[in-house]
Amino acid sequence: MADGETRPGEAAHDARAEGSGAAQVEIRNLEFFYGATRALKGITLDMPARQVTALIGPSGCGKSTLLRVLNRMYDLYPGQRATGEVLLDGINILDAAIDLNELRSRVGMVFQKPTPFPMSIYDNIAFGVKLHERLSRSQMDERVEWSLTRAALWEEVKDRLSSSSMGLSGGQQQRLCIARTIAVRPEVILLDEPTSALDPISTLRIEELIDELKRDFTIAIVTHNMQQAARCADQVALFYLGELVEIGSATQMFTAPRERRTQDYITGRFG
Amino acid sequence: MPVSRALHRRRRIVNLLGLTVATLATLFGLVWLVWILGVTLANGIGAVDAKLFTEMTPPPGESGGLLNAIVGSAIEIALGVLFGTPVGVMAGTWLAEYAQVRALAGTIRFLNDILLSAPSIVIGLFVYALVVRPSGHFSGWAGGVALALVLLPVVVRTSDETMRLVPATMREAALALGAPKWRMVTQVIWPAARTGISTGILLAIARISGETAPLLFTALNNQYWTVNPADPIANIPVVIFQFALSPYDQWHRLAWAGALLMTVVVLALSVGARAALRRSR
Amino acid sequence: MPETAEHIVKSFEQELNRLRSLITEMGGMVESEVALATQAVLEHDDDAAAGVVEADPKVDALEQQVQQFVIRLLALRQPMAQDLRLIVACLRITGDLERIGDYAANVAKRSLVLGQFNLGIALTGLANMGRLVQRNLKAVIDAIGDSDADAAVEVWRSDEEVDGIYNALFRELITYMMEDPRNITPCTHLLFIAKNLERIGDHATNIAETLYYAVKGEPLTGTRPKGDTSAYAVVRPPES
Repeated sequence: MADGETRPGEAAHDARAEGSGAAQVEIRNLEFFYGATRALKGITLDMPARQVTALIGPSGCGKSTLLRVLNRMYDLYPGQRATGEVLLDGINILDAAIDLNELRSRVGMVFQKPTPFPMSIYDNIAFGVKLHERLSRSQMDERVEWSLTRAALWEEVKDRLSSSSMGLSGGQQQRLCIARTIAVRPEVILLDEPTSALDPISTLRIEELIDELKRDFTIAIVTHNMQQAARCADQVALFYLGELVEIGSATQMFTAPRERRTQDYITGRFG
Repeated sequence: MPVSRALHRRRRIVNLLGLTVATLATLFGLVWLVWILGVTLANGIGAVDAKLFTEMTPPPGESGGLLNAIVGSAIEIALGVLFGTPVGVMAGTWLAEYAQVRALAGTIRFLNDILLSAPSIVIGLFVYALVVRPSGHFSGWAGGVALALVLLPVVVRTSDETMRLVPATMREAALALGAPKWRMVTQVIWPAARTGISTGILLAIARISGETAPLLFTALNNQYWTVNPADPIANIPVVIFQFALSPYDQWHRLAWAGALLMTVVVLALSVGARAALRRSR
Repeated sequence: MPETAEHIVKSFEQELNRLRSLITEMGGMVESEVALATQAVLEHDDDAAAGVVEADPKVDALEQQVQQFVIRLLALRQPMAQDLRLIVACLRITGDLERIGDYAANVAKRSLVLGQFNLGIALTGLANMGRLVQRNLKAVIDAIGDSDADAAVEVWRSDEEVDGIYNALFRELITYMMEDPRNITPCTHLLFIAKNLERIGDHATNIAETLYYAVKGEPLTGTRPKGDTSAYAVVRPPES
């Protein structure tokens, strides 16, 4: 990897293995444009380290867009741009000079539909790790086991690591995707409706996992499921038409929201 | 409700009529196919014997086989695949993964579709002008190039399409791990599109193995044994073409045998390709 | 609740309305129980007392019904924000109302005992207390129907008055008992009746607090003037 300096071998990654790397995200006056359309309007919010921030709101409110700003996924598409500041541990990631591959190794993302790569379970995990680190075979074995264990999948797949990931159930595939993401040892994990394609039990497993992972990672989750936000999140942000309507602790947001629009949305009275 | 019963009755009749017409149309198409296969089988099966695969094409009046033509065809097809596939897959990859300017990609896809439906004799003439004339003689190389040009648009199109079928989230998932684009393409997109691409290649092979026109002006034919692509090379389609036009019975019989052989190979390739595709889904 | 748009799911809206009407129905029943019980004491009206004793099981049944309905709503609708607060408030309010009903029944039973004594004591204090308690109870039940947080605060504050009367009654009744031992039985009953009325007042303030939170989303803060000082009251017999 070109960014060998920032990752000088074992010492660095061992430090990160302790989970000391969770970063804090500060968003300052963020605006986002799809061409001429303003999709995010003056967003300012903080995502404290080792906390789960849930982003909720009706479809098209900008919550997924915000997620895609945090790992600069929007860079893929011409005509999309962001202004303002997104500080990851104090460094503005919107800066043109930011190395995107390194940024994405620090800010992992899990998508709505499980996206296992067409390769073995082991290789799915190793794919991301190999991008950023040179590990010996045994170190890689360890890393694969570590990440699968963290993702609560190890017991189910340890005997078939070399079989195709496509044979896993939807819930297992999603946990594999989470394992793949944490195997790179990011600081922030972005979850874009990670359970919308899963059955209730798989959903609970993922939620349990989120609870477990927040000890080491800063997590942002987009969800349409209000109860899920209530169950998982420390703080909840409601978006509407590209604006941040209200942000507060999950308890406050779901028992006594301050804003009328939040109340209407949360209770199902949205016009 | 008598009204609705009448309505349903009428719908049933219309449905029956439509179904009958559609079935007849299908049968009409199938009849010709079965007829062609039947005639080919009836005429060819008698000419198939061990000598077909062991002896050279004979002079008029003598007995012989198609060995040099079979081997020649294999060489020509191999050359076509060798030249055409890498270019086709790369071009398809560029179209599916890298073409940022939509208008440009659209134009290229359109041109590729034109090439796909270009009469193969035009391709034969083109390679004749491009390779045969400057080098001064017909050759297996020229035949390979001509077949590659027939194969190319098929491979471009199938690679492009199967790669575009890979969901966008798969790309984003790879990039979200911090993968550079080339690794995303080679390690994630290609494996994901693998069956589609190889099916496309198999179908393209099936297509070029029956082509006569591109070889007529390029590889020509050769009565004798050769495996050197610098020489004119024998191949089944051209042999069929020449033998069928000849006045000799023995040559007619070999032409039928060649036709049957080719039909079987093409059929096997098509069926195999489709089976492979189905299994992967 | 501040009137908001209708819930998207109409049946949920209907269920919330039904919950509200169950609570107001129960409130109405309890209100009339308290009125009858007070009447039974003040006017020696045994029929009124019998009416209260008869009505109480109906109130209890209504409480059961509200409880089950609330549990069903919580399980099936997973309410949030003001809906959640309303539903939980109803659960608490129904408990308070049931207790009020019990106190009223207890007052009614004691009124029957009191009837057997010929008491030469003016019950003005008790009458005042009964009037105040009934006023507060009515006010808070109306406030539920109107989701009126201000009215709830009003009730919450005016309980101090009830406590004041109770303290005075406490001393008065003990004095009567010291004057004449024959007064001890009826006065003890009167003391319990006063205590029951005072407790009813407390439950009315509980309901006011619950209602305030349901409407405003924040607890009713500030210390309520706690008026019942009878716990510390020492009434000594006059030195003779």
